[in-house]
Amino acid sequence: MSFVFSEIPHTSTVRRQKVNDFLQSVDLEMSEDVEIFVVAKEDDRIVACGGLSGKVLKNIAIDESVRGEGLALSLMSELLKVAFREGRHDLFLFTKPNYEEVFESCGFKYIEQANHQVILMENSYNIDLYKKRLRKYKHSGDVVGSIVMNCNPFTLGHRYLVEQACERSVWVHLFVVKEDASFFTFKDRYRLICEGLEDLENLTIHEGSDYIISKATFPTYFIKDKRQIDSLYTELDLNIFRNHLAPQLGITHRFVGVEPFCAVTNEYNQQMKKLLTRPSEFPPIEVVELGRIEYGGEPISASRVRKLMQQNRLEDILPLVPPTTYALIVKMMSKEEVK
Amino acid sequence: MSKKLETAHAGTLESSDAFVRVIPINEKGIVIELESSVEEIYGDAIRALILESANAMKVDGVKLIVQDKGALDYVIKARVQTAILRATGESEPDWSMLS
Repeated sequence: MSFVFSEIPHTSTVRRQKVNDFLQSVDLEMSEDVEIFVVAKEDDRIVACGGLSGKVLKNIAIDESVRGEGLALSLMSELLKVAFREGRHDLFLFTKPNYEEVFESCGFKYIEQANHQVILMENSYNIDLYKKRLRKYKHSGDVVGSIVMNCNPFTLGHRYLVEQACERSVWVHLFVVKEDASFFTFKDRYRLICEGLEDLENLTIHEGSDYIISKATFPTYFIKDKRQIDSLYTELDLNIFRNHLAPQLGITHRFVGVEPFCAVTNEYNQQMKKLLTRPSEFPPIEVVELGRIEYGGEPISASRVRKLMQQNRLEDILPLVPPTTYALIVKMMSKEEVK
Repeated sequence: MSKKLETAHAGTLESSDAFVRVIPINEKGIVIELESSVEEIYGDAIRALILESANAMKVDGVKLIVQDKGALDYVIKARVQTAILRATGESEPDWSMLS
């Protein structure tokens, strides 16, 4: 049996619709963020496909009628070729636990699972390197805190949260979400955090990674508009945190801000409490929800600052952010005006 | 000879073939990671062959990740050579090295 492989770019709407039809026939939902699909055809009919989205392989499916003919390996060869050509060498994929072996034979390794329904695999062994690097920053103590933040941008609300955490802990590890999917770039967010927290002494600021709220471990986090919360991905992200990252740093607590506005973040907080403390071979991590500080009767949040930026209300932003953040916003808005 | 290497690959995952990835690393030597469908019988022989092929091309500071699906020796050798050649970015190989 011979199969014909072809690539379908993002721009080809008609052909993508055919992929969509095929995916539906095998009970899969097409991911909108797939950039390139590779499809295998037999007699002009799609019998298998797989997609590349950033560094994640998605929507990999093979029609029942052609299974057991080694098509999976041909498809993966083609898909990897496309990914490597695009310069994506360190790849991730999500799959069902019973397909673990298939992808293992393609060079992927198991990282973590969620609810026995989905597993995350990668074809590099970067998680081991990352864990080894983290170990250097370990501090011992009764309360070793952790915070994961996007800070889009860094506000006095964030600062308050970190201050509170530092007061209650021997040491605090702050992870900055690395994915560049926010209004402010990672570089800017990271710099503003470092500058805004310079004076805190028991704090390590870590650049995030693919293993902590990234498109690889937590794809739905970045499509908040859809109000799409996939509890499986949430669980996966938290399992990686508890089983892989926290043990390297001896983390005992995780601090989060109470979330009154964003459904995704709130859901994440609630699930976090449950998952990080449930019985497991790894030590529990206590989740502490901290209240937010308010200004003018409303909590200070990054989304509030972004909204004010849209409305061009610089004077209202001033009391919400540290001087370093304010300086950047002024700079960004004066550029906007020139445009 | 120590050339600057880039990440590269050659081959496929299909039966009787081998998929070879070359990844530059920040240490000396050649690291080999092999996964083979005939590991029990030929694992050591394949590792030796990969190392020999890589040494012959005088590369250093690389990791070779090989997924072998029961490829014959000359297939494995050719795939390793091609992957390394691509990693060095050269269009014309030094034929005498490939023997």
